[in-house]
Amino acid sequence: MTLATEVLAAAGQVGTGEKVVFFILAPLAVVGALGMVIARNAVHSALWLVLTMLSLGVFYIVQTGPFIGMVQIIVYTGAIMMLFLFVLMLVGRDASDSVIETLRGQKVAAIILGVGLAGLLGFGVYEATRGIVPVGLEGANAAGNVQGIAKLLFTKYVWVFEVTSALLITAAVGAMLLAHRERAAGERVGQVAMMKDRFRPGNYPGPKPGPGVFANSTSVATPAKLPDGTPAERSISPILPTRELTAAEIANKPTEGK
Amino acid sequence: MGDTISFPHLDYAALWPMLILFGAACVGVLVEAFVPKAWRNTVQLVLSLLAMGAALVMVIKRAAAGVTAANAHTASDAISIDKAGLFLQGALLVLGIVSLLLIGERTLETGGPFVAQAAITVGSEADRRQAARESGATEVYPLALFALAGMLLFVTANDLLVMFVALEVFSLPLYLLCALARRKRLLSQEAAVKYFLLGAFASAFFLFGVAMVYGFANAVDFNSIHANISTSDKPFALLLIGLAMLAIGLLFKVAAVPFHVWTPDVYQGAPTPVTAFMAACTKAAAFGGLARVLYVGFDRSNWNFTPVLGVIAVLTMLVGAVLAVTQTDLKRLLAYSSVANAGYLLVGVLGGGAAGLSSMLFYLVAYGFAIIAAFALLTLVRDADGEATHLSRWAGLGRRSPFFASVFTFLLLAFAGLPLTSGFTAKFAVFGAAIGGGQTWLVLFGVLSSIILAFPYLRVIVMMWLSEPGDTTPSVSIPGALTSAALMVGVLVTLLLGVAPSSLLDLANNAASFVR
Repeated sequence: MTLATEVLAAAGQVGTGEKVVFFILAPLAVVGALGMVIARNAVHSALWLVLTMLSLGVFYIVQTGPFIGMVQIIVYTGAIMMLFLFVLMLVGRDASDSVIETLRGQKVAAIILGVGLAGLLGFGVYEATRGIVPVGLEGANAAGNVQGIAKLLFTKYVWVFEVTSALLITAAVGAMLLAHRERAAGERVGQVAMMKDRFRPGNYPGPKPGPGVFANSTSVATPAKLPDGTPAERSISPILPTRELTAAEIANKPTEGK
Repeated sequence: MGDTISFPHLDYAALWPMLILFGAACVGVLVEAFVPKAWRNTVQLVLSLLAMGAALVMVIKRAAAGVTAANAHTASDAISIDKAGLFLQGALLVLGIVSLLLIGERTLETGGPFVAQAAITVGSEADRRQAARESGATEVYPLALFALAGMLLFVTANDLLVMFVALEVFSLPLYLLCALARRKRLLSQEAAVKYFLLGAFASAFFLFGVAMVYGFANAVDFNSIHANISTSDKPFALLLIGLAMLAIGLLFKVAAVPFHVWTPDVYQGAPTPVTAFMAACTKAAAFGGLARVLYVGFDRSNWNFTPVLGVIAVLTMLVGAVLAVTQTDLKRLLAYSSVANAGYLLVGVLGGGAAGLSSMLFYLVAYGFAIIAAFALLTLVRDADGEATHLSRWAGLGRRSPFFASVFTFLLLAFAGLPLTSGFTAKFAVFGAAIGGGQTWLVLFGVLSSIILAFPYLRVIVMMWLSEPGDTTPSVSIPGALTSAALMVGVLVTLLLGVAPSSLLDLANNAASFVR
């Protein structure tokens, strides 16, 4: 509560402390946002985003919104981003984005237009708000910050507050719909059945030969060669398209001690 | 903390339609959990239809009881269920019911138009198995109900924050529905991701606009914005920046140029029943919201946004029409035609006054029925790989199945705006309103783009009737009861609104007033 009262007391004018905080954290927030977009690695992206969110949380507190600031830090940065990181780590973070441009010059055009729009809006807002003295913060926080928010949530916005639950249900149903895979009764095979299947007569229990073994190619689409020189079809994954082999690839590898 | 808060008065008679839809959607989610798989589709379909029907009854009951300025607002003025809002709610529900019939169709192909399990990798062995045999996901019904409920809230929101939440509530289920096509799943998933990402950008613009408007007017509800526009001492630029960003968010949803780029990809990739739902209902909801923002919130800004929105309307009509000419896929063709139609609707909105509003309401209903019927027909023309939407495949269809080709010809003529169809009446109303509002230049461009747009429609008609059917010409499947019903309703309404439009015109004229 001491923080809240101190912050509330500072409302109305922009103090030196607020300016210092702003000019330290604002560049950091922008750097974090840029880093999130530019970073190739998903985990790095998430960590950059944490930086931006923390800076924003501090801004909210400085601008006499202690509740929203704390929620930003606890819920967004603390809970959601950490869950996000867990998921990234669990699922695996080896996938990096393809950086091939499908439209030529699109990146340059996007950067120019984006900077242009940001400049236009920034300049517009700067011009429009120059010389305006912020008012109304004391009034909004008169009965306390949390109380003010509660009053709005449970009076004017009570209906729409309830409606946001529809969003949560939709998100849950959607996540399940897109990610959950129901396995049919026969589809799940137990360990005993797998073992029996592996050692049934006619099946080769050892590991399959890797693709490209004893062949003059390292491509996974090139079949391995059996000792007599014939290709081993078992060595290629069935989902790969058949690949036309060149003469050099078909030739046997000189392994006779030459 | 001396002051106590009192719970606001909620007018349940006015909120029933939304309550019913939200409630039914939640029950639908429970049905997924507890009803055996074999029964789910039937139960969900009946439940959704009943809920929409009940909501429609509630809307009609309230309209019959009479809406006055005194009882329009509820929930501390956050929601305004006035005459125009009720008309839009009714229209959304009727269009929603008709498109739900398409969503519920299961006889055209095994399992219906939706994928059984979206999580299965595209092209894998399991995917081929499920495409051939398993019945489609039934979660689409609660999702459609959520979307529709969000739309009902969107067109009656009296506050920019409420509007934002409603925008999200109806957009999120649509993003999901787009990803659930049974055939051409990669296309469908790409469509969903594109729609989601661009939609998120548009929402961010909208929210930024709300902040700017708050900075100017010190409020986010339309009444206060209206009251503060002429008295605020803040620079007008703040309001204009705010309005521009709000407009970007809303124009994205109505698919106006230059915010239309998602439309062809999403319309093509989404399952056709969902495309029909989006083309009819999303358009109606987005225009309802746009009209409320312009008519209720920003009326006093002397409509000095008209030239800018006028240029967007002209661009929308021309770009939509010209690009429709170059399309070779029927779904993309209809998508660009829907872009051009967004332009005609904008012309109506910019006409201003009650005439502009009533012409927009009429157009939304007329266009909605016609586009649902057109997409219903698209689901019928299919071969072994699903729907055959490439234009060349339709060559000679008139010889093979003259009845369906005639129906499609009639619908295309309605889109082109020929007399005796709803398209003519709707365009006439929209252009008339614009001339009445002193926007004749918009009408000139509107007529020009209508002429351009007639070309792709006529090309399809010529191809269907004057070409010889080839070996690859697909056959027209016999529609099931649900598709037949949707198709019949769509075509009959299109004809009826062309021949005897007066009853709906009267209804729209009576409804053409927002309560501030």
